[in-house]
Order: sequence, then structure tokens, then C-alpha cells
Amino acid sequence: MVKIEIDEDACVGCGSCVDDCPNDVYEMDEEKNKTKVVKEDDCMACLSCHEICPAEAMEHKNIHVAKRLYIDRKVSGILKKII
Amino acid sequence: MEYQIEREEKEVLGDFKPELIPDACGGGIDDYEEALHVLMKFVGSMSSALEQVSGRGANAIVYQAGKRMGHEAGKMVEKTDDLEKAMQELSEILGVEFFFDMWKPTNQTEYTIEKGNETVVKLIFRDCVVRQTLRRTGLPQKGPLCYLLYGYTVGAVEEVMGIKGKLDIDHVGPNACLKTLTIKWGGK
Repeated sequence: MVKIEIDEDACVGCGSCVDDCPNDVYEMDEEKNKTKVVKEDDCMACLSCHEICPAEAMEHKNIHVAKRLYIDRKVSGILKKII
Repeated sequence: MEYQIEREEKEVLGDFKPELIPDACGGGIDDYEEALHVLMKFVGSMSSALEQVSGRGANAIVYQAGKRMGHEAGKMVEKTDDLEKAMQELSEILGVEFFFDMWKPTNQTEYTIEKGNETVVKLIFRDCVVRQTLRRTGLPQKGPLCYLLYGYTVGAVEEVMGIKGKLDIDHVGPNACLKTLTIKWGGK
């Protein structure tokens, strides 16, 4: 079962994830002006919300993480030393 | 003095003779990674150039190529008209690099929906080499290269089930893509 956690301190309330999610997993909490998870079970872990979130405010747990064979480990290694 | 190309890595020299069944391919994981990335860049560049030259016709060309591959791959497995068995066989054809599941929203009881002479099933592609290639080359999803998998899936389903099928892209994401497979019964 997918578990989604929203970091409310980081969420800027832009609503991009609400607009982007094809399964309406998120809704805006009008009082707090933050995103809230309403249909967690319908999440298919496409992670479009991760890509669009400007604050990197969400975390998905217990999902199939797709292979990332496109990552250049040599470049990542150099970047890790710099950042 | 003869000119020599300078390289960081030392050339590996060995003996070679014709063999019926090769038992080694040479190279380590780094060589595989490099080869994979070069191929990803080649394929991405080809797809992009194809789109530039042929416009929307690029989708049709790539779709046809994928469909041909799907038909060829489908010949290797048992024919069936049972959708669940066909999905199992499709999973074997596509392999782990195109790891997919059937998917339904929680308010839907069955994976399949019957619509007249059509059966609709949603497929979620979790691992996809095409997606990885697009990310390697910085190309957008839903482009011509996605039609390769589209054609591949349709070709394989058509071959296994002996019917007409089509695949629509519902949503694309960095970690998974949702597609709708429609099977038209009685239409060859």
C-alpha cells in the first residue's frame, strides 16, 4: 500500500500536484492553504507530483521505484563531491 | 614515428578463435553502462531527427516498427483468447525492462470493463526502457519513441489473441505510465 507524506512546512500551496494528478489523489486544504492527501489508495506512483512540486514537499513510501539506468554514475559521483 | 591515439584505459589483448557457442562477452558493468548510454543517445537522437523530418508521420513509422517486433515476439508464446492469460504472456514477452501491472481505481471492482464488443483494461508500465532513454536524452514523453512500446504491446496482443487491439496513453510520469488497452473482439 502506497503511503504519501506531505511536508506541510515545505508545501507552498501552489496546487500544482492537485492539478497534475490524474487520479485526484490530492486536494487543497483551503484553511491551511496546503495540499492534503485524500485518495491515497488511488495513487499509481507515477511521481508526476514529485516532478512538478517546486518545494519537493512530498514523499512516497512503499512504491515500485522504476529503474534509472539512464543515470550517469560517473557524473553523479562528481556532483556529489561538489554539492 | 607512427602516431598513436592516447587513451586512459589500456587495451586488453587476448587470443581469439572461431567458436560455436561463445562463453564470454568481455567487458564489465562499466562497459555495459557506457554501451547502454551510447545506445540511448543514438536512439533518442534518431527519434528526434525522425520527428524533425517526418513530423507526425514519425509516430506511425515507430509504431509500425514496434508492432512488427510485437508480432515476432508473440509468435514465441502460446495463443490464447483468455485476456488474463494473454496479459501473463505479454508480461513474459515484454520482460522485466517493461515491468507492467493491470491497474484499476479503487471504485472499480474488476480490472476489465466490457463495452459492447470491446474489452478495456488499464495497464501501468512501471519500468520502461523507452522512458529511461527519453530521460537520458532530455526528450519529452508521449513522443514517437513511446509509440514503439505502443506498437510492441499491440503487436504482441494481436499475435497472442488473434484479434485487433489498440493502446492509448492516459498519463505519463517519471516513475510510471498509465495506458489503456482496448481489445476488439471479432475484428481481425
